[in-house]
Amino acid sequence: MDFDSPEEKEFPGLYASEAADSRSKKSKEESDFSEDHDLSKKDLLIGRRKDKKDKGKDRGYAALEGESSPEEELDTKSPSKSKKSKTFKFTSSKSKEKREKSRDKERSERDVKHLEEEPSSHKAKDKKDKKDKSDKKDKKDKKGKQLSQQQQQQQEEAIAAEEVLALGYPVFGVSVSLATERSRCHDGVDLPLVVRDCIDYLQDHCKCEHIYKVEPIKARLMHYKRLYNNREHDAAVDELNLPTACSLLKLFLCELPEPVLTTDLVARFEEVASHPKVTDQEAELQQLLEQLPKCNRTLLAWVLLHFDCVIQQERHNKLNAQSLAMLLSPTLQMSHRLMVALLCHCNNLFPDVKLIKYVPPLTSANQLPDRPEEIQIELRKQDSLLAQIHSEMNAGFITKKREEQLWEVQRIITQLKRRLRSFEKKQEKSVEELESTSSAQLAAASVDVAGVSAQLAAASIAVAEDTTDSKPAAETGAASNNSIASEEPKTEELDTYPSAPDYTIDSVTGFVVLPKTNPHREELLRLQIEYQELKAWKHELKARILAERNEVYKLKQLYDLQNPKAQGSHAEPMPTEADYERVIDHYTRENALLEHKKKMLGIELKEERRACIALQVELRMHEF
Amino acid sequence: MAGLTIEQRASLSEEEIDPAIMSKKPTAGPALHKVIMVGSGGVGKSALTLQFMYDEFVEDYEPTKADSYRKKVVLDGEEVQIDILDTAGQEDYAAIRDNYFRSGEGFLCVFSITDDESFQATQEFREQILRVKNDESIPFLLVGNKCDLSDKRKVPLSECQSRAQQWSVPYVETSAKTRENVDKVFFDLMREIRSRKTEDSKATSGRAKDRCKKRRLKCTLL
Repeated sequence: MDFDSPEEKEFPGLYASEAADSRSKKSKEESDFSEDHDLSKKDLLIGRRKDKKDKGKDRGYAALEGESSPEEELDTKSPSKSKKSKTFKFTSSKSKEKREKSRDKERSERDVKHLEEEPSSHKAKDKKDKKDKSDKKDKKDKKGKQLSQQQQQQQEEAIAAEEVLALGYPVFGVSVSLATERSRCHDGVDLPLVVRDCIDYLQDHCKCEHIYKVEPIKARLMHYKRLYNNREHDAAVDELNLPTACSLLKLFLCELPEPVLTTDLVARFEEVASHPKVTDQEAELQQLLEQLPKCNRTLLAWVLLHFDCVIQQERHNKLNAQSLAMLLSPTLQMSHRLMVALLCHCNNLFPDVKLIKYVPPLTSANQLPDRPEEIQIELRKQDSLLAQIHSEMNAGFITKKREEQLWEVQRIITQLKRRLRSFEKKQEKSVEELESTSSAQLAAASVDVAGVSAQLAAASIAVAEDTTDSKPAAETGAASNNSIASEEPKTEELDTYPSAPDYTIDSVTGFVVLPKTNPHREELLRLQIEYQELKAWKHELKARILAERNEVYKLKQLYDLQNPKAQGSHAEPMPTEADYERVIDHYTRENALLEHKKKMLGIELKEERRACIALQVELRMHEF
Repeated sequence: MAGLTIEQRASLSEEEIDPAIMSKKPTAGPALHKVIMVGSGGVGKSALTLQFMYDEFVEDYEPTKADSYRKKVVLDGEEVQIDILDTAGQEDYAAIRDNYFRSGEGFLCVFSITDDESFQATQEFREQILRVKNDESIPFLLVGNKCDLSDKRKVPLSECQSRAQQWSVPYVETSAKTRENVDKVFFDLMREIRSRKTEDSKATSGRAKDRCKKRRLKCTLL
């Protein structure tokens, strides 16, 4: 009967996954069905469900008003009936739960308690107002008091109905891997978002003496549970508080269908913990931990490392390993002894895990990042988020909000990609320029140097040819530099003009400085500084080429002067032909080796220089 | 060189405008019309979108997976926002297509007049949209792109028009390169969406949107 409800159509698999996922919820469901034999009652429930949905979105009063009168009629038809079934529900669900495991019982009792508390919230007031109005309209003042009680009970049921609705793909009460998959952290840490958020919050409040000691308002706790179950949690709006964060984390852990250490392994963990030798424990625990599913291990690591941070602050919060284990070992479904053992070794057991605060994917309200590395990171997060939205929608988890989010995320991804592409284009261009500049200069310089060394070593006739060869090379190198240099400022001007008519020119450096609000400010400055540094390098290299050229000239003169003498001395110290050949061999080999070394050094020099320039740019960025 | 700088200018001015648009909450802003580009690969969906959004024409082809844009425009004196979702033409991404189609309010079904296969494919896209939206009169335009390449025309105008007539949707020929009719198709579609929305809100006495129809029906049954 319930399967005809619109919710079932909208969330196919709602009840199926329910049944598979949590036993206690199932029992609650059953009791829901059993009372639904009354048709009008059923109508009521659905009407309320719809109310609730609207309300959850924007607390729309108008939406409630619109449906008030037909419901009112139904109210008057069967006040006693639904009242009866209400009490029946409580007893039935409780008696059923008695047969369940004690843990499950505890949980559903909490739900029930929550149901009893909820009407005291502001929502109930809304309802009463509405009811009073329609009462007057329908002239049923006599029944007013009775109706108001009625309303409250229906309110409770509406919450129960909403709870069911929310549990289409719950995060609480399902396995660690399912919870992780359903509510991801999009930065690559495989932890359910609710756990991450709680730990993030609690890490900032480790010193607080109330940590893990104070219970939150139950309604508030359930509100957060619902938010996370519906994936409607918005960190900017719904800020946790200390008791809620503690209890929400505990609630998640204790609603896990099996212990985080897994049913299979928990006994072996306990065995290890009872070892008398503490030294052996660590290795054995390590070995067992490796057998855990990956997300269980991650969850355990984060929780334990967080607990460790808490007991590090014992001075402030008066919690040590013993007392914390006393509080939390039941939640983790392990013995006190085991938890103390894990806490004692946790830093060695999880050397690879670091508690990093989660930065959720940006929304359209945020400013998008400017630097390519940041864009890449953000893009990965958004992609992960998009994939999750798609998979949820494909599974039938479709709401208006989801669809809106889908478009928004898609829009952000498009923007990020465009940014990245325009940046890459710019970078490609500048790299090309840098390469052509430096390689031309280096080539020119090395030709010169080669010419010189050739002269010195062999003193051959080719000297003249070499130098004539190197000169045009150097000149073309310089020429291409000039042309590039003259082009570069041009493009930069074109860059700045359309985007910022209100730029200023730095009086000292002559840089074009954009106002602080402009997203291109940093990039433009960086490019300008880089440009200046490269120009300085070019001048330096040019000066060196000139110096080398002078040296060549000087040596040539010297050679010309000494030429006859050298030829004479050549002949004299030559005792045998073999000796002569040996010397030549030696020198050609040495020269080749030196040539190679020089080449390597040249490349290294280029690389170092580039790194130098990058650092210079960073340094000078700080000036602005 | 000149080409590059023009492109840079376009990208700069775009990035300057966008944060202002994006910072607006979608709910708080003016009316929002959601447009979806569909059609085979390489017919120019992205080119049309980029020409409309940023006045730029991208020559090089890069397949789209999915891209989304938002722009503020003035539609008959009224400030509105248009959300454009540029989808993949390739079948490989059909799995995620439904999710987008479902939330679209109007569709530009694009083909290339130089490619008959792309024209034939429009039939399938139309069917897919109707299947997802379950609404014969969903705002929809048949768009023949690349009309600047009329010498390479493969799909005769009469055939395009008769198909449009058969679907009872308007047919427009565009060129993303010359910008011919680019604004027209987007604005025409927005007008259709707008009139459709006012119609709907009249029919439902301003309570819910078109998607609720089915659900409302069920509620009354129960």
